[in-house]
Amino acid sequence: MVGVGLRSAHFPRLLERRPTPVRWFEALSENYMDSEGRPLEVLKKIRADFPVALHGVSLSIGGVEGPRPGYLKRLKALMEKVEPFLVTDHLCFTGAHAANAHDLLPLPYTEEAIKTVVSNVSKVQDFLGRPIGLENVSSYLTYNESCMKEEEFLVEIAKRAGCKILLDVNNVFVSATNHGFAATDYIDRIPSELIAQIHLGGYTDMGKFLFDTHSRAPTDPVWELYRRVIRRVPEVPVLIEWDEAVPDWEGLEQEAVKAIQIAAEVKNALPA
Amino acid sequence: MPSPLELLQKQFTSSVIGEADPALVVQVRGGGALTPAEAVEIYRRGYPARMSEALGETFEACWRVLGDEDFLKACEEYSRSVKSISHNLSDYGHLFPEFLQARFHADAPFIGSLATFEWAFKEIFHAAPHTPLSPSDLAREVKDNSVLIFGPSVKLLPLTHSVVEIWKRDRSDGAPLIRSQWDAPQGALLYKSGGTPVFSRVIAAPEASALRSLMAQQPLSEALAAASGLTEAAARNLFSFLSEAGLIVAVRQP
Repeated sequence: MVGVGLRSAHFPRLLERRPTPVRWFEALSENYMDSEGRPLEVLKKIRADFPVALHGVSLSIGGVEGPRPGYLKRLKALMEKVEPFLVTDHLCFTGAHAANAHDLLPLPYTEEAIKTVVSNVSKVQDFLGRPIGLENVSSYLTYNESCMKEEEFLVEIAKRAGCKILLDVNNVFVSATNHGFAATDYIDRIPSELIAQIHLGGYTDMGKFLFDTHSRAPTDPVWELYRRVIRRVPEVPVLIEWDEAVPDWEGLEQEAVKAIQIAAEVKNALPA
Repeated sequence: MPSPLELLQKQFTSSVIGEADPALVVQVRGGGALTPAEAVEIYRRGYPARMSEALGETFEACWRVLGDEDFLKACEEYSRSVKSISHNLSDYGHLFPEFLQARFHADAPFIGSLATFEWAFKEIFHAAPHTPLSPSDLAREVKDNSVLIFGPSVKLLPLTHSVVEIWKRDRSDGAPLIRSQWDAPQGALLYKSGGTPVFSRVIAAPEASALRSLMAQQPLSEALAAASGLTEAAARNLFSFLSEAGLIVAVRQP
């Protein structure tokens, strides 16, 4: 089941309700949880026709202060309005309560960070009354104090906290290239039963490093990694994520069709 | 004493929002061919870009008036001097009107008013639409001493300069602005009319005075009587507009 990120540039086209191979939409939680205006009105109309997942960028699940006051209440209110099939955010911290950096800042892979995230996830899941999914982020640095691999950190948190993993294949490729590990090993070490969703996006090669810009279509290496993981989890929802230089609807749909075709090829090649 | 994780998060956050902390740089390895300092700088440079993008979405007309260079430089300086405490990027910029006014008052004296208008527009855009009283219900319920209750998505702005027409100007209209276009105070009303679209209306001084009193829940007859220069015809027109535009959600009798 392939979906795309819901972007305001596509609202007019989507409200025409023309047939599309896209089967679901992902809405950025923060764009709707503080608004009672047109964005929410459109989201409710989309929701009447399609399943919707909510994806946040400001939960700061790795923050030592925990989620910001009021954030979870607003998220829960939005969940009641749109009844999402999945609620996700990023495995990172986004600053401090007194100063939000509005960025997905990487965590050190340490026992202290695991305990912090697990404690925060427990509070969040208790409040929301359902499991959430955490997405691996792209990063441009690592910490000297990290004492395990990123995928070990991610899986350990998911197991201890009872949450799911949103596996961003593009982010795996970006971080693998930047930090010199094998993306295939990372992907293979994520247990199938923990993967609740897959993200596909595009990066920009800055020369010295890869930058996670979401400003273009997924690249060939990312499609290859997708092919590899979808073999194990053919029923998991897949999302085409495009945030910068967003193409017209047809351009976005074209990438969704590619993801659908690859999934079908992989499924057909599986033993009966 | 902060834990290692707490200390690292403080160092990283302050390095992104302000100057890179050398204590953070020595704790990291750069990705790709980046040095540790270059890697921290990637996050540090992204911050003003993100905040500028958010400010640009809210203050689109100010951007158009000031041009890329001046506007983006102002955004960068503002983002380094005013922290964001909200989870929502669109909450960022409540002090930006004063910041722009202080910076550009000599070249664009109206810029603070324009920014104030745009900030208010953003707030009304996200406000819940209200269910107005129908004109017939309003006419039936209202009496001389009634108090009118306005919907939550209604805002009256007393502006020091005339900016509504500047705000409405087409993006491609590059004609220079002349003093007579902006050099007078203006009352502007932003509102929703039962749905999600946001409307704007310029309000003359006597009507604005009456409206301000009505929105402060003064009884109808008192509010209209206190508005200096408001003719009977203008009062009728104002009430007719409030009714047709769907700004009133309830009528309270004293």
